[in-house]
Formats: sequence, C-alpha cells, structure tokens
Amino acid sequence: MLYVVLFFTFFSLFLYVFLGGADFGAGIVELFSSKKDRDLNRETIYNVMGPVWEANHIWLIILIVILWIAFPAYFNIIIIHLHIPLTLVLLGITFRGVAFVFRHYDAVVDASQVWYNRVFRISSFITPVFLGMSFGALISGEILLTEDYASVGFKDIFIDPWLNPFSILTGLFYAALCAFLAATLLIGETSGKPRKIYSRKSAFYTIVLVVVGGCVLLYGYLTQMVFVMDFLQNWISLAAIGISAILLIFLWRSIRREHSVLTRVLAGIQILLVIFAAVHAHFPNLIITSNGDLNLLEDTAPESVIRVLAISLIVGGAIILPGLYHLMKSFNMIKIGMRKSSEE
Amino acid sequence: MENLDYARLQMAFTLGFHIIFACIGMVMPFFMVVAHRKWLNTRNPVYLKLTKAWLKGVAIFFVTGAVSGTALSFELGMLWPEFMKHAGPVIGMPFSLEGAAFFVEAIALGFYLYGWKKLPETFHWITGIIIGVSGVASGILVVSANAWMNAPAGFEVVNGKFVNIDPVAAFLNEAWFTQALHMTLAAFAATGFAVAGIHAIQILRNKQPELHKKAFKIAIVFGGVAALLQPISGDLSAKDVAERQPVKLAAMEAHYETEKGAPLFIGGLVDEENKKVSHKIEIPNALSFLAFGDFDAEVKGLNEFSEDELPPVAIVHYAFQVMVGIGTLLMLAALIYFIALKKKKSWFDNRKFWWFFAMLTPLGFIALEAGWVVTEVGRQPWIVYEVMRTSEAVTPMPGLKYSFFMYLLVYLSLGLTVSWLMLRQIKVLNQSND
Repeated sequence: MLYVVLFFTFFSLFLYVFLGGADFGAGIVELFSSKKDRDLNRETIYNVMGPVWEANHIWLIILIVILWIAFPAYFNIIIIHLHIPLTLVLLGITFRGVAFVFRHYDAVVDASQVWYNRVFRISSFITPVFLGMSFGALISGEILLTEDYASVGFKDIFIDPWLNPFSILTGLFYAALCAFLAATLLIGETSGKPRKIYSRKSAFYTIVLVVVGGCVLLYGYLTQMVFVMDFLQNWISLAAIGISAILLIFLWRSIRREHSVLTRVLAGIQILLVIFAAVHAHFPNLIITSNGDLNLLEDTAPESVIRVLAISLIVGGAIILPGLYHLMKSFNMIKIGMRKSSEE
Repeated sequence: MENLDYARLQMAFTLGFHIIFACIGMVMPFFMVVAHRKWLNTRNPVYLKLTKAWLKGVAIFFVTGAVSGTALSFELGMLWPEFMKHAGPVIGMPFSLEGAAFFVEAIALGFYLYGWKKLPETFHWITGIIIGVSGVASGILVVSANAWMNAPAGFEVVNGKFVNIDPVAAFLNEAWFTQALHMTLAAFAATGFAVAGIHAIQILRNKQPELHKKAFKIAIVFGGVAALLQPISGDLSAKDVAERQPVKLAAMEAHYETEKGAPLFIGGLVDEENKKVSHKIEIPNALSFLAFGDFDAEVKGLNEFSEDELPPVAIVHYAFQVMVGIGTLLMLAALIYFIALKKKKSWFDNRKFWWFFAMLTPLGFIALEAGWVVTEVGRQPWIVYEVMRTSEAVTPMPGLKYSFFMYLLVYLSLGLTVSWLMLRQIKVLNQSND
C-alpha cells in the first residue's frame, strides 16, 4: 500500500510539474514577448488552458495532502524550514490565479487590464522560481536540523537554505522548464504564423533550459555538493539525462516539422526523465541536510493510515482522471490520432 | 503580543477570509443551475442573462476561494507544524477526499464555463449541478476535520505519540454531523440572504426589475429555507457541545456558577476579572432546557474548570449572541418572505419590503463568522481538545508578526478588488438591453 501512495506522490508531482508548469510557463512566455506576441498569447492561453488551468494547480494540493498524511516527519521539516519561500510561492499562486480570472472575467474592459496582465505575467515567473528554490533547498545540504531554535541564528535556519546560488539556479531551471513546456505545448494549439512564433520560442527556451540545467550541475560540481556529486556518479540518473539529451534532438526535429502530438509526448518524457533522474540519484534520501540525509521511507504514517489513504487515492483517481481526460479531450487539449498538420 | 498570538490572528484572518469565498463558491452554483434550468424550460432570455451573470460571479469567487484554500493547506503546516505532524495522518482521510471533491468541482467548472454551445444542453446543465454538489461535499469534509479538533477520536496518545490510528473513526467523530449540518445550512442562509439583498438593492434602484426580481426569488428561497431549518440544527449543536465541551457551552453563555435549572443569559456585559455578567436579560431555567432538554438539569459553570483551561469568555459570549441574534432575525425574515409569497403579494410592491431585505445583505456572513469565532475561540487553549495545546503546536519560526500583516494587507486588497469587480458586474448587467 505504501507503494500505491508513493506512486500517487510522484504521479501528482509529475503532473504538477508538467501541467502546472505549462501554466506558469504560459505567463513566462508572455512576460518575455514583444507587445504584439503578448496579445496573441493572452487569447491563445485563454482558449487553450482556460478550462483546465484551475485543475492543473490542484495537483499541488494533492501532493501536499499526501505528504502530510503519509510522510508527516518529512512534511514537518519542509514546512518549518521553507516557511519563507513557500509563503512567497503562495503569494505568487494567489496573485497569479486571481489576475488570470480578473483579466478574463472582469465585466468592464478598461485600463485595469494593464494591471491584471502585469500581475499575471510577473507572478507566473516568480512563483516557479520560488518553487524551484524550495526544491533546491531540500537537496542543497544547507538545511540545518536543530531542536533548539533559539540558539541558532534566524538566517542560518530560515534564510540560507533557500537563498544561495544553487537554490536560485534550481529555481531558474524550473522557470525555464515551465517556459519550455508552455511554448512547446502551444505549438499544437495554433496554426499559421502564431505556430511559427511558438516553434521559435520553443527552440529558444530549450536552449535556455539546457544552459541553466548545465549551470546547476556545474555549480554543484565545482562546490562539491553532495547531491550533485552523487548525481554525477549515479549511472541510472546519468543515463536518464543522456536519454533526455538524445530525445532533445528528436524533439527539435519534431518542433521544426510542427508535429504537435509527438512534440507533446516528447516534452512530457523530458519532464519525466528530469524528475526521475533527480529523484533516483538520492532515493529514498530526498532531503539532504547539513547534519545528514533523511530517508523518506523511514518514519512514515502507520499502516492503517497508509491503507485508507491508498484506497482514497485509488477511488479519487478513478473518478478524477477520466473526468480530467474528457475535459481535456472535449476542449481539444488532447488530440488523439492527430497526425502532422503542417500542410495547413 | 507574542508569536503565538500573531499565528492565531493570521489563522483566524485567513480562515475568515476563505470561509466567505468558499461559501459563496459552494452555494451560488445552485442558484445558477436553477436559473439555467428555468432558461432551458421557458426560454425566457432574462434567465439566460441571469445565469451568465451569476456564472461570472461563481468563477471569480471560486478562484478566490481556491487560491486562499491552497494557501490554507500550506498554512496549517506553516503555522502549526507540530499539530500537523501528529494530527495530519489522523485527519488525513477527510482532507484527501476533500482534495478529490475539489478536483471534481474544478473539472465540472471547466466544463460548465467553457461548454456553452459546445456541449449538449442537458449534459452542460448537469456539470453545473456537479459543481454545486462537489462544492458542498468539500465543505462537509473540511468541517469534519475541524470537528475532530473539537471531538478527537480514532487514536491513542502513548508517550506523546499518536498511535493506533483509525482514520475512519477520526473522520466520523462525534461532532462531525452536527457541525457539518450547521455549517452547510449557514452557508446557504448567508449566501442566500447576501445575494437576495444585493438584488433587492437593484430593485430599489429600479434597474432591470424583472431580472432582479427573478434573481431575488431564487436566492431567497434557498436562503430562507436554510434559515428556517437552522434553529433545529443549532439546537442539535448546542446539546452536543453541552455534552462534549461543557466549558465551551459555559463560555458561550458566560455562565460562571454551576447550577441546576440554569437561566439563559441574553446579551450582557462580561467582566472576566470579577467573573460577573451585568446588564443581561435572564430567562429562568432556559439554559438547562436548551442544553439538556430538562428544565432542572445541572449546567456546569466556568468556575468548575481550572484557569488554564478557560477560553477567552467575553469574545465567545459576544460572538454567540451575535450569531443567535442574527440567526433569529433571518428566520423571521424568511417567514416574512414566505407569507408575502403565499398570502400577501401586495408586499412585493412596497419599498419597505425591499429595504428590509437590502439591509440584511451582510448579516448572514457576520453570523457565520461569529459562529466560527464561537467554535474556534471557544476551544482555546486547545488546538485538539484536551489533547494538544495551541501553544505546543505553533511554529518555532519567529517574526510571524510580519507574516500576519502581509496576509492582512494582501487579503484586504484582494477582498476590496473582488467587491469592486462585483459592482462592475452589476453595473454592466443593469446597463445592457435598456
């Protein structure tokens, strides 16, 4: 049963990184676009992501709830030590969510739209950066566990783990990943000239992604970080990154030829490989602190709790996933059997 | 003030904010699907216009409720990490089910919002119903987790650890049914009267009266029925609290002395230092009857409990008075409406009638917030009643003062923006087709 729970933990993590990431990315792409492209993007993402954008973000809630129920000791450390960056993430989620709705559902369209757009774009960028920084903090080895909070400085416990070059690079890496995902997914939603624009953006963000990802590993290597050193010595993780690098070639080809379905599948596989490589390198010690590693599978909730949670997740999943699939299909977000449509 | 006080203030403020949006987001879909059904049956375009206007409201409230709810799911841990560490696994079941229900709601909302003219009419309408039903289910599940804090069940404490956890028993704790019933009715009453009140104001201003009268009727029927049922649910809750949390009951009533045939105090000023209540109205034996169904039953007073187990009495007492007072007023208002509907149609032409309902607009939500103050402040100093103190649960991180003021600023501006957006919605609604 623990494995059912673990499956759903990583399943929601993957879907959040993938779907939520694409959502954040849409705002990032818009932020770094010319004025003309911005208007195009605004309409495109309303049509494409509007129906599911809220559902995309619920994966985060599911993930948090699973963590606190099944892995309370882990959750406890995350939530105490990352209080500040997670608060910033929450602010970002709040501003982004309301700005998206305001800009599309305000009855009067006037100058306030400028503000909704601005808030939407900026928080779309900042939120994934802080999310990435929080994740970076967990593996940075900077978290300082203590029983006696008063005797250790505030900065050492609550600031340093996430406000350091490695965590910041990880944050930028996740933001680049989001932008890459969004640009890639949007290729298939458009045609004609906009399609060319998104193809170009997708290629651009792929380069950014690879460069930032390289910086994360290089920085970690140069400073001899535990996680990065282990990552570089783990053959399976390296193989996963290698495969993802090879697949990038196919992805680029697919982007150039404007295959929308294949491009999406390949983009999804990229995310899966990146998460797999990162998690596998240190599994099950997913939090690395300055006083040692913490094992996810030790100190889990009792079996009775895990059992009920697993059943709830299976039942919930059986209701939600088909619903979500139909929602996406009804609004043409999943295009089954759609072959290359570059002839348009 | 200490860190703990700021943590409590932040929790109270963010919950209080979330509750308003969550209730509206959970109840308004029902109004919307009724208007939608009437459009499908009558093809009167006014109903379509109303449905779409309410739909925009639902979308805005749903998202505000959803993001503030996301924030809360983190805040529970951020502010009360020790509580979540021990209690998280125990109360996980309602939360995981709530996650699922909320997800269903978001999916249904996606279908409904974007499904106009794209989905078959009946299927589209049914997705609207699913929004409402799953919203209510989410609400009930979250309240069940709160009820567990009042009536802890499904675990044992051994050496400071929670063991022998039975998540189902924790979920079906003694308080969940009465609390969930009371809260669901309160959500319908508060939202019903608030929506009806806003439309009553438009009727007074004589803007699009046909549309607003139809809107008023739908909202007030839901709100009115809930307000009429609420006293029954309130009685169940009071008897339950009397049994399980005598100290909370005593604080609600500001009842210091233990006595048989205890009187009910209405109003009054609480003097916590001298343990006295002045300027009150006393109804002999009524408290004993309301709490235990027996005019001579013994009701424990606050003096029976040690100082470090007492909640802040005055706040709880005043909040309780506000809740019951407004609840009674709304019940009478509901009666007035139904009498007008059945016997006295002429009242609908009287401006005083619409003025009356316009004045009631905010009251339901004030009562709802007061009710949460009663249940939450009344449980203090415990976070889990008689198991864990709030002071033991709070985060070790200092400086929560800044976090509190930040949330205060952000949510206040958010609340103001949403209100302003609603005014704009109404303005546009009134301008069209004139």
